[in-house]
Amino acid sequence: MSASGRVADPLRLPLELDLFEGPLDLLLTLVLREEIELAELPLRDLVEATLRGPDEWDPPTTGELVLLLCSLVELKARRLVGEDDDDDYAPDPDAELVRERLAAQLIAFAPFQRAGTWLSMQDGIDGAVRYRRVPLDRAAALQAPHAPSELLEAIIRLMVAPPMPSMGHMNRERINVGEIVAELRGALRRTGRVSFDELTDGTDRLAQGMTLMACLELARRGEASLAQPVPFGDITVHRMQPGFAGE
Amino acid sequence: MSEIALDRALEALLFLSPEPLSIVRLCELAESSPGEVQRALAVLGARYGDESGLEVAEIAGGWVVRARAELGAVCDRLRARPPDERLSPAAIETLAVIAYLEPISRPEIARVRGVSAEATVGSLLDRGMIEEAGRVGDGGAMRYRTTPAFQERFGLRGSSDLPPITQFELSGAEAEAVRQRLRDAGHLDDEDA
Repeated sequence: MSASGRVADPLRLPLELDLFEGPLDLLLTLVLREEIELAELPLRDLVEATLRGPDEWDPPTTGELVLLLCSLVELKARRLVGEDDDDDYAPDPDAELVRERLAAQLIAFAPFQRAGTWLSMQDGIDGAVRYRRVPLDRAAALQAPHAPSELLEAIIRLMVAPPMPSMGHMNRERINVGEIVAELRGALRRTGRVSFDELTDGTDRLAQGMTLMACLELARRGEASLAQPVPFGDITVHRMQPGFAGE
Repeated sequence: MSEIALDRALEALLFLSPEPLSIVRLCELAESSPGEVQRALAVLGARYGDESGLEVAEIAGGWVVRARAELGAVCDRLRARPPDERLSPAAIETLAVIAYLEPISRPEIARVRGVSAEATVGSLLDRGMIEEAGRVGDGGAMRYRTTPAFQERFGLRGSSDLPPITQFELSGAEAEAVRQRLRDAGHLDDEDA
């Protein structure tokens, strides 16, 4: 397998294990274990393939990615210039600066670590919170006196079977717009025009709404026309003679 | 209300209350002046001497009657303590950073700790140990501060009742020991010493 082949496959590998969160982590680990020859690794192809990846990265992920790629570049550079030859070794001033910052950060954070230890010793689980924390209303309810006869009555009330829940809503009559359209067509065929109020007299609001939809449907199809001379007044549905579907 | 009656009234209030009662609240409940309440608290505190299992203590900006610390173990036999109430070392350290530097944002916490604080801050928020304290400018990072629940849990009278942070700073020898450990681990060169 060529070096480029090694790069291409891991980048397409949706790997997510305990130790590896992606192909680049795996690649870096293989490089560190010297199971991949870093000198043959085409880093430019790797960077381009990574940047062309389908994922959108948030700033933390982008930062980790940049760090990872920089680590690979540094490792390859060290390998190519033969840094391991002790004769020509010169400490990298930037790296030493980073290391000194690490030491300074550890020393600066130490007081907070110690403060955390102090807090652990004060932790209320074993110490400070040693008073009752039951809400007062609940405590008052628990202390409410009840006579045995009151408790007996309460138990008897609990033992009475509750009324069966109503299933009336399960058998509600279903209204079909198609059926209303057919009825409307029949009425128009017989009389030529019908009154909406007469059509819906004695029906509930759902049936009235569905009847209005049927009227609008016939108007949309060109089978009827609607007239409402007065706002909120009665609607008259007229049969349209040409092309009337019922004829 | 006479002073003797007042200290008995305060004793009853502190016994009943599920949370620390501030001086202001005690004044309202006992219908007394701050001076009278403070004198009565002193009388009450003296009554709960070393021979008592209880003590009058100032905590989280208020006053409580609570079991003495040395009786914590026997008190724990009475109450259940869910394991999830325990705070991890990372959470305790983050709490320490927030308590000393509040109000402080997540990026600032991460900068001090050297690692991300996202999950830890979220956990502390869920547990009520910290709360939001406004943003830095318009659209800046949200800052956080400790809560009275934190002060109650750690037995603090208030947010300023922490020991001075200088008390925990490393001495010169201790700082050098940290550098030596880094050198031993190969992270520092001898020239850095």
